[in-house]
Amino acid sequence: MSTLSRDQVRTMMGEVLTAQGKQLPADDTTRLDSIGFRSLDFSELALRVEDELDTELNFDAPELRSIETVSDVLDFIDQLQSA
Amino acid sequence: MTLPAGAGNRIVTATYAGTWAGLIVDPAVTGAVGSDTDATGAAAASDAEVGASAPSPAAYLVQDNTEAARAVLLHATAGDRETLVVAASRIDDERATQLRADGFAVVRGDEVEAATTSRPADPGRIWLLTSGSTGRPKQVAHTLDSLTTVGGSQPSRVWLCPYATGAYAWWQVVTMSLAMPGQDVVFVEPSQLDSWPALALKHGVTAASGTPTFWRQALWRAGDVVAQLPLEQITLGGEPVDQAILDRLREVFPTARISWIYASSEAGAAIVVHDGLAGFPEAWLGRETPGRPALSVVDGELVIASPKAAEGMAEGIRTGDRVDIVDGRVLITGRLASDEINVGGSKASAAKVRAVLLDHPAVAWAAVRGRRAPLVGQVVAGEVVLVPGETTTDADLIAWCAERLPDYSVPRRLRVLTEIPIKETLKSDV
Repeated sequence: MSTLSRDQVRTMMGEVLTAQGKQLPADDTTRLDSIGFRSLDFSELALRVEDELDTELNFDAPELRSIETVSDVLDFIDQLQSA
Repeated sequence: MTLPAGAGNRIVTATYAGTWAGLIVDPAVTGAVGSDTDATGAAAASDAEVGASAPSPAAYLVQDNTEAARAVLLHATAGDRETLVVAASRIDDERATQLRADGFAVVRGDEVEAATTSRPADPGRIWLLTSGSTGRPKQVAHTLDSLTTVGGSQPSRVWLCPYATGAYAWWQVVTMSLAMPGQDVVFVEPSQLDSWPALALKHGVTAASGTPTFWRQALWRAGDVVAQLPLEQITLGGEPVDQAILDRLREVFPTARISWIYASSEAGAAIVVHDGLAGFPEAWLGRETPGRPALSVVDGELVIASPKAAEGMAEGIRTGDRVDIVDGRVLITGRLASDEINVGGSKASAAKVRAVLLDHPAVAWAAVRGRRAPLVGQVVAGEVVLVPGETTTDADLIAWCAERLPDYSVPRRLRVLTEIPIKETLKSDV
């Protein structure tokens, strides 16, 4: 399976936020609650990645972890892709 | 042997054009041999002879509507047969084996596979296969009488029958044509679904019954040809009917009677509305009229008690259809089992999202479902087909929904399809 780079996923994350009228800051340590990136937005991002890769990701595989920052999101999507 | 009252009505299939009676070759029944048949008359004779000696109970797994019509006529004229008619494409080997174990001889064209369980026929019994709420086909018991729901005086018409062979809606058209002189039928095979408007024009169709998906697709794909049809009667059923498709049909056919029928294999034909408005009047709920179905709503679900129900049904049949009452109209919005999308604990209604999408002026068709997603379990996803000539983007459509729906109900993924998907059932269960 091909995978998306961290930068590509970051761009997609920015698109999800833009659709909500928000912006993705440059600093990956930014907390999600400060930019209004919610569970639904995270879910949409995962589905965008699925659609881009044209494959289903195994959402059950990665260990559930605390997702609090932009970096956490990118790490989680990385995990999903490699699971 | 008595011929049904409509035996002189003309039927047209992909391989036959003639009267119902013309399907029978026994001179003792028709008084004529293969009258009014086309070049396929010889094949018809051969099949009919096989049919006349076919065992009963028999399950006819048919390849086309000629085979189906012959099986129906045999049932109607013999009077004592037990019959199941279904498109062969709906039956897999496992199901066919089960039918034989249930006492049916399985008839495929000239080939007859004997039942593996012997039992006497239940005279007059007609079985319908329904997908059932579990997705596993189940058999529903009817008779020609319980399937014949159109009565009174009807104007002479040429009907289009695009429904899947053996489905309840298919039987509605078939039994009407068998029982009432002046009701001709043009059958549409699945392979003709793309080209039926030309077929209907050729054979002078004046009445047509189809699902909303069928009508949407027809207007979307061949609106110019469809508009040329001299339709006097337009019937919709089988899926939730929204105001937009009713209005569009009224626009194209300003003088036609437009009817919405709620029917199912289990409950029979229960609701008929001709006023061009979606749903039915709230005043009909709880009304008790002898010989007519009684309608009620229990926990948001339509419940029907009907004299035309299949045998063995509960007094009040829980239909599994969700209803909303809006401005004095009872609207059927979709299946309870598939309507609810659980988005992180919030319940989005697929029907309501779909209705919002269909309200968009650029959208000709829409389907909405839950899509598995991390953290929230499911998100709302949709597919749309645009009105020809209209352009919009998925972002615009999502913004349209965001203005009208709670956050959790807004589709997070939306695909624009190039064609309206349609199944053999004429529905869009995507």
